[in-house]
Amino acid sequence: MKLGYIIIYVADVPATLSFYETAFGLHRRFLHDSKLYGEMDTGSTVLAFAGNEAAEMADLAITPNDPKAPAAGWEVCFVTDDVQAAFDRAVSAGCRAVTPPQDKPWGQTVSYVRDINGCLVEIASPVRGAQTDG
Amino acid sequence: MPLPQSYRETRITPKTSRMVEALWSFVAPHAGHSLVLPDGRCDIILRDTAQGTTAVITGPATRAYRVHFQKGDRWRGVRLRPETGRFVWQDQLAIPVDQVLIGPDAVAALPVLRSALVAPDPMAVLAQALQIPRARPAPAALSQTLDAVHTSGGRLSVRHLAARSGWTPRHLTRMFRKYVGLGPKTYGQIVQFHRALRLIKDHQLPLSAAAHEAGYADHPHMTRAFARFGGFSPARLPADLDLPGLGSI
Repeated sequence: MKLGYIIIYVADVPATLSFYETAFGLHRRFLHDSKLYGEMDTGSTVLAFAGNEAAEMADLAITPNDPKAPAAGWEVCFVTDDVQAAFDRAVSAGCRAVTPPQDKPWGQTVSYVRDINGCLVEIASPVRGAQTDG
Repeated sequence: MPLPQSYRETRITPKTSRMVEALWSFVAPHAGHSLVLPDGRCDIILRDTAQGTTAVITGPATRAYRVHFQKGDRWRGVRLRPETGRFVWQDQLAIPVDQVLIGPDAVAALPVLRSALVAPDPMAVLAQALQIPRARPAPAALSQTLDAVHTSGGRLSVRHLAARSGWTPRHLTRMFRKYVGLGPKTYGQIVQFHRALRLIKDHQLPLSAAAHEAGYADHPHMTRAFARFGGFSPARLPADLDLPGLGSI
């Protein structure tokens, strides 16, 4: 099977789409008329956002993401050559800084922020030898 | 859930209206009966039978009850958002759990029903009146907590809900009783019951799997919840459940 989608349940899909454009420089693919689903342009694996109400309508029970609580146990990781610039951009857009950019012993620069929904987002440089989209 | 053809519902999405969740109507295509399941909400209903039109106000229910009807009987209803139970019951909200006001009692509680009953379009009169909240609207933290209960299928504990809301568990309970008419634990259990029912009925999940996914400790705990809120066993679903407008979520 192919990894098709990462879908994050959020309270406000339109606000989250706009936030990911401003904070991380992504572009939106589309926002559904219901305002309960939207996709970012991220290549063959789609980063998408769905409204919490959509979870309920699908008879899923989820713990809603909460900026005040500890983050849920997963992360989205963006890879870029200029981690500091990306990190600064994310924080000035409104992300909460978790760990600022640090060089790791294995040659990667790693930073963490939390988005407006409280989701953990990592911004890191490519692992040495791997590809990046910048 | 598949909706019967004779059932119509206008969805007013929760975010666009502070008061009203839906306007609904149902005309009975034949004589029969239907089991109305509790959903923690209050409804304002106009019931038309051969004998005339009667106003009904339902309090926040925790038990199921059967409604019997003749062919052609009609219901038109306004389903209120859970946190606006206070609107119709005011200070009596602590009392009318599982109670219903019928006819003159309903009109006394909600005087706009008097003009609605004689108007050519009673639902329009009611909908209009509900644009203007009589009571102060519920605090945002309460609406958000209700959202969290629904998103989580009633699986978040009162302690967890309170922590999210910024209130103590005791204050959260007070707010629920004041505005919804039920405590948060009971409200969550009703949401949990409805989800379990859908997992079994609509998704054909086996009973043990449904119990586990719905968040019950085990199958017997689910059975106990079904007995309490539905009056039936999860292994034997009643045939007359299919009338969502009269109470199921």
